[in-house]
Amino acid sequence: MVITGTMPTLAAWEFWQQTAWGLTKLVGQMAVIVIPLMLFMEVMKDTNVLDKITGWLHWTVKPFALPPAAVFPLLVGLVFGLAYGAGFIIQAAKEGTLSKRDLYLVSLFLVINHSVIEDTLLFVAIGAKGWVVLTFRFVASVLVTWAVGRFVMPPEGASVNEEGHHA
Amino acid sequence: MFQLSTLNRGLTKGLTTTWVLTKVMAPVYLAVTVLGQTPVMDWMARMAQPVMGLLGLPGEAATALVIGKVLNLYAAIGAMGALTLNTRETTVLALVLLISHNLFVETVVSKKTGIKVTSLVMVRIFGGFLAGMLLNWGWQRWL
Repeated sequence: MVITGTMPTLAAWEFWQQTAWGLTKLVGQMAVIVIPLMLFMEVMKDTNVLDKITGWLHWTVKPFALPPAAVFPLLVGLVFGLAYGAGFIIQAAKEGTLSKRDLYLVSLFLVINHSVIEDTLLFVAIGAKGWVVLTFRFVASVLVTWAVGRFVMPPEGASVNEEGHHA
Repeated sequence: MFQLSTLNRGLTKGLTTTWVLTKVMAPVYLAVTVLGQTPVMDWMARMAQPVMGLLGLPGEAATALVIGKVLNLYAAIGAMGALTLNTRETTVLALVLLISHNLFVETVVSKKTGIKVTSLVMVRIFGGFLAGMLLNWGWQRWL
């Protein structure tokens, strides 16, 4: 009884130790990625580089009727992961650079398709075909975001008024 | 122009955002990790087993799928190590998992942006499953 009584305690200790370590790593990793990215973004903003880059890349989000301000959160999410993208979306929401519609569509795109390099490589390492999952995920996120942005929550403008009139 | 205040602002925003993400993610991460130790995972895996055939996957793959959806991709890949899957099966499971994983933690983060997230979770679960079915169906035809 004494021996079996100590076993779960030891296992529990190890579990909490691992969990605490996992949590520390999670927070550390976020700090290491988010802080430099925010610094980088502020520097780019104040040197007017950000405006130029998002201006050049505006065409990538135009089909979804999204503003240039949506480019950076999308890029961060695609490269670094959903939580990081969300960090920038939260910041944009605070600063009011993105509307409710923009926030939703950027989030919708990113929940389907994010962290494309790291996550894909994890599965390539165990034998999955990388280009297949990349293509599927990319097409799915573009189609869903476009369809929702076009039909479920159309941008405010002439077409909306017309549809509203018919309804 | 670029000044010291630029760096100051960047640092503040970086720290604030890290803190916001930590506050949101840490409790859910803890809860989900504890949940991973309970029989709940097994129950869910058993419930998911019958539909694995629709993805062209063996029933045992349900465990890896459930672990990935509740916990994260690393844990799911660990669970996949216990299975013998061919390239098609690995790729289909990878696709479903890549679209929907770590659902609890990632959803609270999305919610923090102020949007309604129920539809996003639905898109991830059903969209992931549909994409997996489509890939399994198309594998012989296209690849």
